Amino acid sequence: MSPSRRDFLHTSIATGGALGLGMFIRPSTYFRKTPRAQEPLRILILGGTGFIGPHQVRYAVSRGHTVTLFNRGRTNTHLFPDLEKLRGDRDGDLEALKGREWDAVIDNSGYVPRVVRQSAQLVKDAVSQYLFVSSISAYASFGEVDMDETAPLGTMDDPTVENIGRYYGPLKALCEQQVQEAFPNRATIVRPGVIVGPGDRTERFTYWPARIDRGGEVLAPGDPTDPVQLIDVRDVTGWMVRLLEQSDAGVYNAVGPEARLSIAEMLYGIRAVTNTDVSFTWVDADFLAEHGFRPTMWTPPRGRTAGLGLVSRDRAIAKGLTYLPLAVTAKDTLDWHKSRTEEEQSRLNARLSSDRETEVLAAWHARSG
Amino acid sequence: MVLGGTGFIGPHMVRRALDRGHTVTLFNRGRTNTHLFPQVEKLIGDRNNDLTALEARTWDVVIDNSAYDPRWVRASAQLLKDSVNIYLFTSTRSVYADFSEIGMTENSPVHDVDPSAVDEGRRLGYGPDKVLCEMELRRAFGDRTLIVRPSLIVGPGDTTDRFTYWPARIDRGGEVLAPGDPTNPVMFIDVRDLAEWYVHLLEQGTVGVFNALGPEAPLSFAELLYGIRAVTSASVSFTWVNADFLAGHDVRPYSDMPCWMPARGSRAGFQRFDLTHPIANGLTYRPLAVTARDTLEYHKSRPPERRSRLRAGLSPEREAEVLAAWRARAGA
Repeated sequence: MSPSRRDFLHTSIATGGALGLGMFIRPSTYFRKTPRAQEPLRILILGGTGFIGPHQVRYAVSRGHTVTLFNRGRTNTHLFPDLEKLRGDRDGDLEALKGREWDAVIDNSGYVPRVVRQSAQLVKDAVSQYLFVSSISAYASFGEVDMDETAPLGTMDDPTVENIGRYYGPLKALCEQQVQEAFPNRATIVRPGVIVGPGDRTERFTYWPARIDRGGEVLAPGDPTDPVQLIDVRDVTGWMVRLLEQSDAGVYNAVGPEARLSIAEMLYGIRAVTNTDVSFTWVDADFLAEHGFRPTMWTPPRGRTAGLGLVSRDRAIAKGLTYLPLAVTAKDTLDWHKSRTEEEQSRLNARLSSDRETEVLAAWHARSG
Repeated sequence: MVLGGTGFIGPHMVRRALDRGHTVTLFNRGRTNTHLFPQVEKLIGDRNNDLTALEARTWDVVIDNSAYDPRWVRASAQLLKDSVNIYLFTSTRSVYADFSEIGMTENSPVHDVDPSAVDEGRRLGYGPDKVLCEMELRRAFGDRTLIVRPSLIVGPGDTTDRFTYWPARIDRGGEVLAPGDPTNPVMFIDVRDLAEWYVHLLEQGTVGVFNALGPEAPLSFAELLYGIRAVTSASVSFTWVNADFLAGHDVRPYSDMPCWMPARGSRAGFQRFDLTHPIANGLTYRPLAVTARDTLEYHKSRPPERRSRLRAGLSPEREAEVLAAWRARAGA
């Protein structure tokens, strides 16, 4: 972290700015409070330097585990200078993993079955448990409410087509299969929904705290009761490590919160962490479709997406998945976003200052009279 | 000098004043929270009949949080008028006679009162008595008067449980009965915002009359409840029950459903004040999540017996009854 950014975070704790809700600030301090696990594990993380990986690493280290990272050494190379980092390429250069043993592997970077097969097969006799980060996109459909882990997965006609953009879900399903084959009864498959929080560069969730904090008239999509789901990266990554500690194999959706959350509850919950002058105008789904305005985190709960936002989380909760309060997620995400450089913020800032939302609101008001 | 200072709002003001480097003296009966502020000068007396400790002393300002009897204000204001520069009196929103207008301000009409009631020792009720208090103050201090009329004051230390009911209830989880129309407006003021503003006003030498409510941008009851939900991890759902049904089941606004006042008829403006004047004079509002989280923490720090029997809101049994009736209603 650059000195100037560190200063900003430190200052914002001291003033009213952070208002005490922030837990992202100085992660080393936060995780110092984590009690150590009963038995230390040796954990290999494939990836580990993107979004969710660093959170896994920090949590695992604070629990007393020994963590090794394996990646190409391209992303965020300044992170974790004290940890063992093995260099290679999971597609064709796994030399550094040969002859080594770990208690568990976390695979954050598997997108095509051919590549996942390589790592899974290589370590199957050297590792007790393999945790694969899949996605709820692996499901064939979201037409059913309360869909659980037994629901059918997406398929593709030609499984060798490695077009991640087009076949992200079905490819993840095939990756899962590779892991199950190599680790029967020892595979842990986690299917997260939208993961949110500090470090999320997709900005799907970040848009909302940033937009609401900016204030003014905010376009709120659909019906206030439309369901949404999200999971804070701190919750899902901590829980993943605990699954390894518990030696829990199986397949788990990772979405939240426990009780149903509506889009109104999400937006008003985010509003609560700011004191900006803001108001919400609810614009219905058909109107938004007509105007091609597609806000993130929300999908109209009908037809093929009737169950999106209502995916079952019973299994994960039974295995210890917990959820930070939404206000903590929102505040920490907002603070993290504001701590980024101008350049890093520019894409989201461009979205925030675009005229599109204003245009659609104007059309909505004109239509309603 | 603070008349009182050891109840709910007083300590927050004292702390703020001390943090700002001011010297504080407390005057009270020495009965409540006597452990607070050991480093502060404390004068003992009784607003009813013993103000001798205040004689022959001077202060820049006095904060009066504890008067609801106009004779008390008459006595203290007359005694201090030549030895104190500004007298800040905590009045109330209840001084207003009529809440049917949207956008009420400090100039909205207050209760019509008969000043001779004070001489005769006649009490007229909370709101009218506070009007008389304000009048007594002005008689003594003229334009060196600072009157603040807060709405519901909320936050850590509030023993009435009116706002506290909601964070406590929501944190408990399950199906929560939510009153009326989700878009119904609500207003309140966090005691820390009030305290910080009091000290700010006094530092600025501000005088006049101010309402103290918030937040700045109108807040709906759904935004209030969902904002509170956001500070807990409890598994909770909200069932919105309309106002007429609640009335039919004897669930009363404000007392049974705290902070809630259906914005119609004679109360259309109760939660829709125009806040231009206080905001222009420095009133600010901390985020709802801070108020909610701090109030919840305060609630959880209280002994179990106190936590399980709140002084406002519905009991769990009553709530379950009304929810069951709502589910069973014809056509549901």
